[in-house]
Amino acid sequence: MLLRMAWRNLWRNPRRTIVVLSAISIGIAGCIVAMAINLGMVAGMVDTAIRGGLAHLQIHSAGWDENPELEVRLMDGGAEIAKALDATPEIQYWAPRLRAEGLAASPRASVGVSITGVDPIREAGVSIAADSISEGQWLGERGRVVLGHKLARRLNAEVGSKIVLSVQDLAGELTGQAFRVSGLIRSGSRELDDGVVFMRLPEAQALVRMGESITEIAIVTSDRTLVNQIQARLRAALGSGPEIRTWEQLEPLLVYMIASMDSMAWVLYAAVFIAMAFGIANVLLMAVFERTREIGMMRAVGMSRARVVSLVVIESTFVTMLGLLLGVGLALAAIWLIGDGIDISSFAGSIDEYGIETVLRPSMRSRDLATPIVIGAITAVISSLWPALRAGRAKPADALRHV
Amino acid sequence: MIRIALSFAGRIGRTLLISLLFQGVAIAADLSEFNLEQAPPNVDARQLARTAEDNMRSDRTFFKGEMTVVSPRLTRPRVVAFHSWEDSQEKKSLIRIDAPSKDKGTGFLKLHPNLWMYIPRVERTVRVPPSMMLQSWMGSDFSNDDLVRESSEVDDYDHRLLGIDTGQGSAVDRRSYVVEYRPHEGAPVVWGSIVAWLDIESGAPLRQDFFDEEGERLRVMRFGDFRQIEDRFVPHHWEMTPLDKRGHKTTIKIEKIEFDLEIQSSIFTTRNLKRRD
Amino acid sequence: MGIETRLAWRNVWRNKRRTALSVAATVFAIFLVIISVGMATGVHEKMIEDAVRLASGHVAISGAGYRQSMTLEQFVPWDGRLEEVIEAAPNVRAWAPRISSFALISYDDQSQGGMVIGVDPAREKNVSEFSQKVNEGRFVSVDPGPTVREIVLGRKLADRLGVGLGDEILLYGVAYSLETAYELFTVVGTMALPDHRLERNLAIVHIQVASEFYVYEDRITEVAILASEAAESDSLLADLEIALAARFGDQLELQTYEQIMPGLVQLILIDDAGMYITLIILIVVVGFGILNTILMAILERTRELGVVLALGLKPMALFRMIYLESMLLAGVGLVIGLSLALPLLAWLHGIEVPLGGDIAKGTELFGMEPTLTFKLNMINPIGSTITILVVAAIAAFYPALKASRARPIDALRSL
Repeated sequence: MLLRMAWRNLWRNPRRTIVVLSAISIGIAGCIVAMAINLGMVAGMVDTAIRGGLAHLQIHSAGWDENPELEVRLMDGGAEIAKALDATPEIQYWAPRLRAEGLAASPRASVGVSITGVDPIREAGVSIAADSISEGQWLGERGRVVLGHKLARRLNAEVGSKIVLSVQDLAGELTGQAFRVSGLIRSGSRELDDGVVFMRLPEAQALVRMGESITEIAIVTSDRTLVNQIQARLRAALGSGPEIRTWEQLEPLLVYMIASMDSMAWVLYAAVFIAMAFGIANVLLMAVFERTREIGMMRAVGMSRARVVSLVVIESTFVTMLGLLLGVGLALAAIWLIGDGIDISSFAGSIDEYGIETVLRPSMRSRDLATPIVIGAITAVISSLWPALRAGRAKPADALRHV
Repeated sequence: MIRIALSFAGRIGRTLLISLLFQGVAIAADLSEFNLEQAPPNVDARQLARTAEDNMRSDRTFFKGEMTVVSPRLTRPRVVAFHSWEDSQEKKSLIRIDAPSKDKGTGFLKLHPNLWMYIPRVERTVRVPPSMMLQSWMGSDFSNDDLVRESSEVDDYDHRLLGIDTGQGSAVDRRSYVVEYRPHEGAPVVWGSIVAWLDIESGAPLRQDFFDEEGERLRVMRFGDFRQIEDRFVPHHWEMTPLDKRGHKTTIKIEKIEFDLEIQSSIFTTRNLKRRD
Repeated sequence: MGIETRLAWRNVWRNKRRTALSVAATVFAIFLVIISVGMATGVHEKMIEDAVRLASGHVAISGAGYRQSMTLEQFVPWDGRLEEVIEAAPNVRAWAPRISSFALISYDDQSQGGMVIGVDPAREKNVSEFSQKVNEGRFVSVDPGPTVREIVLGRKLADRLGVGLGDEILLYGVAYSLETAYELFTVVGTMALPDHRLERNLAIVHIQVASEFYVYEDRITEVAILASEAAESDSLLADLEIALAARFGDQLELQTYEQIMPGLVQLILIDDAGMYITLIILIVVVGFGILNTILMAILERTRELGVVLALGLKPMALFRMIYLESMLLAGVGLVIGLSLALPLLAWLHGIEVPLGGDIAKGTELFGMEPTLTFKLNMINPIGSTITILVVAAIAAFYPALKASRARPIDALRSL
């Protein structure tokens, strides 16, 4: 009964209710959109690094940390490990790789490069290299390499050009072979665009005379939060031999950048939350105080103080819930509208072809919604409770006289 | 996984097309400036290449000469005198620098495919790492890699006889076969093609032009001052001109060359490298 | 003050609690905007500073084509003319000449190609941080000794070669004169650098020693210049380009750090973008809060407004009065906020606040000091003030309109 009365009360003065609703919903929407943009920004950075070759986890042979040389390699193409990987459900894709430092030469130039032998199909699942081909195509045929467009420019090479790759093999001897460029990469990642030469794994193994060995396995999962879980599982399955590292351990720099961006972001979130709180508080306080006369009337008519206060609080709660709902809806709509992301490259002036994407994509998980909603709700309840109590305490006669 | 594999299947069709293009992609060098006669049909270009190579090589060769480097940077050309032994069977060689004085006594030991260097004044032996292989050798237009590279002119290439140069034109002054050398796909040679003028009489190389795959001439090697040594017709003057670097030229003048020597294999050791002779 | 203004002012303070809350919200918003922009600006500047001090400064002058080839061929003539121009340029904080080239570095049976940079230690310490990164031994002496050739190696390079302090290593390369360049150098120190790739390849010697080694005579490969602040880099480059074009034609190439390390610039860009978007949202939320407050107030004062209109006050005048009330509300908040934020920022300007925890560890990984810096500049408060005023101006419109449209009869009826 009280509930129905509360509800009807709300709509007796629609203008007031709408004002309160808008304060709450805009406040919440603001919070959510701000969080989404910041979270999206950080996620974008991490994603770019991970998709640029870092992957979520990497497996190396024991001792790789000390000495990242060819001698430290996974024998037999990591066949044992492959079994464990396929048995781990959280892993989405994994790819074997062979990395060796060498030289690329063309008739006009020579450059130091990082030769990476990959399984073309597996690699496509693990990094964006295969999807970032700006000219030509990804690895397919034998005797072909794919390299970054900047590297190609330095070598004066294009799709179809011949380049000679020399590398020091396992015995320390120099070997060389000519390859043809089948595709150029334009990814935004400096490593991919200007440092790596991709070729098929068996050919890399032949070039370096490593038989079936590889130097690393890259692993990607669909949910970044599962990374530690995967690491634990693999450690249990593979024992003390191979070294399994997460992207955070491989790239502590990235972790640092995320931490600092996050902390700055939280300061800003706090600001928006407080602004929202102010807005809600002010409006609700006013709404309740305004009805002092009304409350006095109800008391005069015989309603108990407790009931009056409860009525007011329930009304405020309804308004708050509605406001929050509306706000979330508004925020989701805004996020959907932003859609692909805000392209800030137009602000970047003459900057082009740079390391990270210049698009801010908002990203929101349902659990992230909790914080602003909770804060909004608490604020609303407190802001309506206090004036309600005050109003309830007033003597009916005084209240009636209130104008 | 399967999704990705399927998307690749679609690309394979295109790959076939592009690979067809690759076979013929290296554009033929433009030699129209040299008027070539039609060559007789039964000449084996590969044999010509083999003869040319053998002409300059023996199982064990001794070589003494002088390399001169001309560059716009220099007021005077740089002259490096050296002598060397080479064992082409074992793919080993030792080069000893005789002049200028700063470099005198420096030795280069090639044990294919690696290169060591010894500098007597500081008594240090250095293994030349891969990153240094493309750096200039002794300031010349040759690289360390050129010294070490053992690509066979016969085995790593396909040969095609383009015609006969009468010797009246601008290219060479003797009647010669003009042979095109095209490296095998995968051979570690940066050039798109090499065109060589081979003396009809002796088979010795008179000139070599190096082209990139677009048919642009990047280097010209000229051979002159031919002298008869037993059954070989040996050029004692070699001149290399890079066409993409103006004002550069490297010349090698042979003072003495001896073929089919008896050399002890102990010459080609790091121990011997450290001696100063 | 006109009567309207006085009335508006008094109206603002009629409901103290409500006004206080709105003012508080505005104060809070502007305070935060100014401080966070100040912090972001400070932090980003420091990031740039730290990065350019381990590379080529804010502006680098080199021979045309040098950055592509990295050979001695593309040199910078060092005969005094360039020095003159640099000294005369405004906004140059410090500059240092360098000779860098590739050389073979060898010790025992280990040899590796490396990047050798010849520096002028006295000038270099004002431009770069290499001398501060020495973790063992010391940096190159200001005076190159007559006999001992000093060299400082990246720690990873020293480890790779198996070299310790006092050991003599061989440097071998080709001089500008095409002669063979080889000398023994004594390792006097090692450096720990945040860029591991650099640490694996870098060797530093005295510029005079490098000049002799490479027979470079009166040539160098680069001049690294620090501008008075990062934001001045572009104008410094423009000034120098004009001054140098006359004397050197297109022999020289000038680049700012933005062209040399674009990744850094972009990182900052994205960080800034995220922050500005959040701040705009903040201001919108605050603006909306004020809007609602005023709107509610209008609704509350329906009777009073009706009476006033009935008494003959023109709607336009009422509009103005209500509008003024809103702007005053915003204005009070603005003034208080600015007077709190600006002094604080001015005090923080230049001070380095120490950081802790994860972030501190992270910056140390970078080789940077774990501190937070702030920066006060003019754009910050002016921009924020204008933004808030604009938002307030827009927000005030609707309530004022509604108030002026009030019909006296409706108002009186609600009595």
